[in-house]
Amino acid sequence: MEEPRRRARNEPDSMTLFDSTQLSLEAAMRGATLRQTLLTDNLANVNTPGYQRKDVDFHAALRAAEASGSSPETLSFQPTTASDRAVRADGSGVDPDQESAALAENSLDYEALVQVAETRNAILQTAMGVR
Amino acid sequence: MGLFDAIDVAGSGLAAERLRMDVTAGNLANAQTTKGANGQPYRRREVVLQEAQPGGFGAALASAGAAQAAGGVQVSGIVEDTAPPRLVYDPGNPDANAQGYVAMPNVNPVTEMVDLISASRSYEADVTAMQSAKTLFSKTLELLK
Repeated sequence: MEEPRRRARNEPDSMTLFDSTQLSLEAAMRGATLRQTLLTDNLANVNTPGYQRKDVDFHAALRAAEASGSSPETLSFQPTTASDRAVRADGSGVDPDQESAALAENSLDYEALVQVAETRNAILQTAMGVR
Repeated sequence: MGLFDAIDVAGSGLAAERLRMDVTAGNLANAQTTKGANGQPYRRREVVLQEAQPGGFGAALASAGAAQAAGGVQVSGIVEDTAPPRLVYDPGNPDANAQGYVAMPNVNPVTEMVDLISASRSYEADVTAMQSAKTLFSKTLELLK
């Protein structure tokens, strides 16, 4: 009797519905969502004395996970808080211009990810003959 | 965790900035009030903001594994400015003291206008952040089409 073929999660295979590209895409979207929330938090606290800005480098975390071969599915992103950064006299570490720019950048990042996900869906639907 | 968090956080910012505008407007309205509720001249009020810790079900879920989410901003209190009242020589005023001086509120209209602009701009930034989160969320919903 033939042994059933086992396949690792991160093995590239066009036949798997949830291959590593799809899982990385999902993890990146999670990361971008978290970053969006943190940047919004920074903007909401722009007038809070002593507030230190928060951010998350989900690109680096994802790169590290892919380099070490661990699945992006279980990857959890850790927000970082800047220390001793004051750009205003009241000790607030938030520069609204920088935050707005980062927010715009992150929005485009997220939209690009959604676009890729949409295209992948379209490819699958075409393959299945839905369209 | 989700994009709704970003909308909630932006909402907390909107509420805080709106309160700052209300208090600033109150200061401007009372710039000439020589007798407050306690019989003393009106004192300038200021909103103290602090970072809010995430609470509720979402935070419980977050502390159970996922990364600590953002909580937004909250008002920790409204404090009175301790600067002394401004003395104006006006012997005809019913609130004048024996020397003919009237204690006027410690409100400086220029400071108030600057605060008002700051609150207004911060409010706009929060609105933009909320709109951005909303746009992203509807883009994600389009994936289901």
